Amino acid sequence: MRLRRITTLASAGALAVSSLVLVAGGVSSAATTTITFAYDFPGPDFELTPVVVAQDLGYFKAVGLNVNVSFPPDTSSTTKLLTTNSAQIGFLTTTDMGVAVNAGAPVLSVANYSMRNNWALFAKPGTKLTPGNLTAALKGKRIFSYGDTWTESMLPFVLRYAKLKASQVKIVTAPTGNDLTDLLAGKVDISTSTTNYEIPGFQGSGTKGTEVQLLGTKVGAPDIPVWVYAVTRSYAASHGATVKAFLAAVKKATVWAAANPVKAAADFSKAYPKSGYTNAYNLEGWRLTIPFLTNAHHQYFVQTSAQWSTLANALKSIHLINTVPTPTTYYTNRFLP
Amino acid sequence: MSGFVRPAAPRRRDRATPESVTRKVARNVGVPLLSIVLLLALWQGIVVYFHVAPYIAPRPRQAVLAVTQNWSTLWPLVLGTIRETVYGFIAGAALGIGLGVIMAKVPVLQRLVYPVLVLSQAVPIIALAAPLVLILGFSVTPKVVIVAWIVFFPVTVNVLDGLSHVDQDLVNLARVYGAPRWRTFIQIEIPATATPLFSGLKIGATYAVTGAIIGELAASDGSSLALYQEHANTNLNTAAVYGTTMLMTVIGISWFLLVVGAEVFATPWQRRTVARRWRRGDRSEDEPAR
Repeated sequence: MRLRRITTLASAGALAVSSLVLVAGGVSSAATTTITFAYDFPGPDFELTPVVVAQDLGYFKAVGLNVNVSFPPDTSSTTKLLTTNSAQIGFLTTTDMGVAVNAGAPVLSVANYSMRNNWALFAKPGTKLTPGNLTAALKGKRIFSYGDTWTESMLPFVLRYAKLKASQVKIVTAPTGNDLTDLLAGKVDISTSTTNYEIPGFQGSGTKGTEVQLLGTKVGAPDIPVWVYAVTRSYAASHGATVKAFLAAVKKATVWAAANPVKAAADFSKAYPKSGYTNAYNLEGWRLTIPFLTNAHHQYFVQTSAQWSTLANALKSIHLINTVPTPTTYYTNRFLP
Repeated sequence: MSGFVRPAAPRRRDRATPESVTRKVARNVGVPLLSIVLLLALWQGIVVYFHVAPYIAPRPRQAVLAVTQNWSTLWPLVLGTIRETVYGFIAGAALGIGLGVIMAKVPVLQRLVYPVLVLSQAVPIIALAAPLVLILGFSVTPKVVIVAWIVFFPVTVNVLDGLSHVDQDLVNLARVYGAPRWRTFIQIEIPATATPLFSGLKIGATYAVTGAIIGELAASDGSSLALYQEHANTNLNTAAVYGTTMLMTVIGISWFLLVVGAEVFATPWQRRTVARRWRRGDRSEDEPAR
């Protein structure tokens, strides 16, 4: 009798423990989905701020996500990380999306990161660089390029605006170089970059005066978004809820970071203290990014067929892609929060 | 009976049987070619078996086609890379030999300079590329300097090593016969350095193309093979990336083989136990001198 009671108690205890383990395991696996977010650059910088904020403020956790951030070995590998399922959500330039789709990569843009084009030409303080004197400012001059698809796509528009052929300027391509250093050292006459990266760099260099900038959109470059969030088509089809949850958390974080730039930059600096950038650089960079995050209707993330159509035609005109597909080949808004 | 001792006739199995040309070619060319063919077959097999997408990894044929179909564009770029490699190699080798000789002859200088040389090689060459461009501009010069930077060190170390291991008995013998220092250097020390020198040159030749590519990536005004590859990579043209990689490899191997050829020509004693006699009436080079 006593033995039977002990056996019963032991069985009940074992059952309770195993149930607890099962329930706990079930709860944790059901509650959290782990995904990898692939950045577009081999190291972290301030454009990662929304993702950092979403992690830090628990926005990802609130929607049941555990997001790991990975960095590609070079600026051209994010698409490959997505298509090999090494990452589930990626951060790409829209031109990278264009060439990826052209190469047959099954990627799909699910949201804009920035809404407008902040790519620009830069010159040393005191230089005259305006739409009116563009031809004189560029003819025979050395123009810096990182050799990326964005610069490759935008420069022909600027040259066309200036009524110049590519042979009438000297394009210096340096994928591992630094446009600002080469500009300040007098090795090039004009550098190209986006304003949010260039201006904080110039301020940090300690150079007197203000760097002269001319937005590409003022001299013929199309005003289209530069960066997007992207997934593979198969992932979008099978994990739509996860994509939607990710975008919901990131949007909340983006809105918060735009309203609280100082705290957001501090969050980024705290998350990546060894990024190689100062907090001042991160703050200035993020401040300069904020105005480009929304469209004319103060909307975040929303993509349009017009932006993708413009981009595809631009890429086709400079022979970076063979055909212009329908805009919906590139994007969908159905996961937007 | 005179004191002359006639060498014993070699036993039958010791006699060198002349190897047929076909077998020689098969061994020296066929086997390496077979290994390359096997490597390409393995590559093809992996891509086909795992259904690897072309933008992740192309098939070997696609990579070769990416080169052949764009040969008119690639050819000038290949020539540019070869030019940077050759100029840099010659400059690095000359610097390496010169430094090696001077350091061997002036021990104080060796103690002074050697740590700096070691330090120079500890500097990551990629980190060096950008400052070099800032100082020397975007022309061919920084690329040549980078290649020379890579090449000179193994040459210097090997020349130094060769000169410090010259047979002192030979040097003493030359002194006894009253040979001036320059003659001892030319006839004894330089030949003694040849083998280690070529070891250094072969190491340098292997890395020279890498130096040229790093230089091209740092900055180029106009186009270059490395930039062509970078653009292909950016545009997910993986076949062109693999194709240009194959081209770079071919340049590197060709340059290495050229140095090996120069070594064969310059150091005949490594393949013959008896020195070639150039006198008229010489019947056999393997016949012992009387």
